[in-house]
Amino acid sequence: MATRQIRTMGDDILYRECKPVKEMTPRLKQLIADMFETMYETGGVGLAAPQVGILKQIVVIDVEDGNQYVLVNPEILETEGSQTGQEGCLSVPGKSGLVTRPNKVKVRAFDENMEEFELVGEEFLARAICHECDHLHGRLYVDLVEGELEDVSDMEDEE
Amino acid sequence: MTDNKTMTARELALDMLIEILEKGSFCHIVERQALSKYQYLPKKDRALAARITEGVVERLLSLDYAVNRVSRTKTDKMKPVIRNILRIGAYQILYMDRIPDSAACNEAVKLAVKRRFAGLKGFVNGVLRSVAREKENLVFPDEETRLSIPDWLLSMWKQELGEEQALAVAEAMLRERPTCVRCNQDKEDVERIVKSLTDQGVQVTRLPDFDDILYIRNYDYLEALEAFSMGWIQVQDVSSSLVGRAAAPKAGDFVLDVCGAPGGKSLHMADLLKGTGMVEARDLTVQKVSLIEENISRSGFSNIRAKVWDALEPDEEMKRQADIVLADLPCSGLGIIGRKPDIKYRMTREGCRELSELQREILSVVWEYVKPGGILIYSTCTISRAENQENMEWLLREFPFETVDISQSVGTVFQEETAKKGYLQFLPGRHPSDGFFLTVLKRKQQ
Repeated sequence: MATRQIRTMGDDILYRECKPVKEMTPRLKQLIADMFETMYETGGVGLAAPQVGILKQIVVIDVEDGNQYVLVNPEILETEGSQTGQEGCLSVPGKSGLVTRPNKVKVRAFDENMEEFELVGEEFLARAICHECDHLHGRLYVDLVEGELEDVSDMEDEE
Repeated sequence: MTDNKTMTARELALDMLIEILEKGSFCHIVERQALSKYQYLPKKDRALAARITEGVVERLLSLDYAVNRVSRTKTDKMKPVIRNILRIGAYQILYMDRIPDSAACNEAVKLAVKRRFAGLKGFVNGVLRSVAREKENLVFPDEETRLSIPDWLLSMWKQELGEEQALAVAEAMLRERPTCVRCNQDKEDVERIVKSLTDQGVQVTRLPDFDDILYIRNYDYLEALEAFSMGWIQVQDVSSSLVGRAAAPKAGDFVLDVCGAPGGKSLHMADLLKGTGMVEARDLTVQKVSLIEENISRSGFSNIRAKVWDALEPDEEMKRQADIVLADLPCSGLGIIGRKPDIKYRMTREGCRELSELQREILSVVWEYVKPGGILIYSTCTISRAENQENMEWLLREFPFETVDISQSVGTVFQEETAKKGYLQFLPGRHPSDGFFLTVLKRKQQ
């Protein structure tokens, strides 16, 4: 396993459409494992393949609900309600902003063995699913921010 | 995506500890603010954050010893975020049986990453795994480190209380205790109050000889309790409610509380006066007095008022006016370390001496407010001879007062030989209360 370099805002790859995965390969399984490691290393709760420079429709999510979600070729089927809250992104380091998202989403995707499944996420999980799926279509949360993009205060600066 | 909002219990504890241990804020204030700000967190997360925060402050010296034993970089050389993450981890490993060591380590590592110290996660993990591995072999070099109490304080207590009693007090300060509340019997029947509490899932225990005192545990928010919002109960340690019992006001008495905030003892007096007489609760600042006013309005009593007045300032009109003067004066607070653990690291022996001076200055002003034949009650929430017994002896020497036998009014659990001589020093571990000092003196007729 290895961590991969995270592409940050300004990198052209973050604005492009990702290709669906046709079949699972050992390389892609390695990519998924690396994405989890990279996400944990950097303290994220979700990561999309384009953020590590791969234009494939793959997303990993861990919002500490006891699951590690892998969404391959995810497709949002239904949304319900709305929630407004702070959001941040590993590709936009040190920033956060207020974003309104659906409060509940239903998504269809494939897992790392290309088994199809459906997942219903609410609240924080719903937010993470929407945020990551947006990455697969070249969209960043910064375009959805209401008001200003804020600096996240850094604890280590306080010394 | 990153998570900027979801706060975990340990992260909240980390923020509180940095406020308290690195910036010198008061433990109980930081905790109150943070827990009310994060009311939306589940009860168990808030409870865990509070437990860890108080626990780390309480065991600080022991935890730093345990960490420094296995770490090449000592806590005083670490970055503040890192040393507090390690203290939080070590506390769970050493003092919280229900959390597995592996979880304590993993959570600490996650927290380090989240606070952008990913580079130090190996260090955090290594130190905490060593603490966990070595915990069976952990032997503290001395009682001060084991009990996490500064040298000067333990040696002062040993001198004043004897070695055995001093250690018993320090041990008792570390034990978890329920919240002590007093029922306003004038407002509601005690049995009815107990029923209301138990109906809301609160665990209630009672004390022999003290019908109106309840120990409560297992509640989320005081504000959420019917008995609290209705003004039926008042948070007050049993030791300080003994002030009211020992004062035994008669119908129609005028009671003056010279340092009254937040008003617990004054309200108790108003309750004991059963709607007659008048209690005036004074304090130094508008803020403190508004605290008293808040509690008065919650209680609904009409025979009590609050006033801003500096106790050091002589009030000519008050001379010889009061049947009872309560002087519960600013003190070193060493008796309530069990509830406000940061006090033990803030206070010094010089601090105790300076406070003893201040107490004498106030006493030399307020004794004059007592009517001839009236009562002066001097109390503190500390365990320090200079502030307590020595000030009482000084009062008796300097001013026309004599001691009152209070052995009849203190019940069996608090009975001590000294009650006959007009005073009591409550000691946690010996009495089911905070550390507290109380003396009842009567002004001579001439």
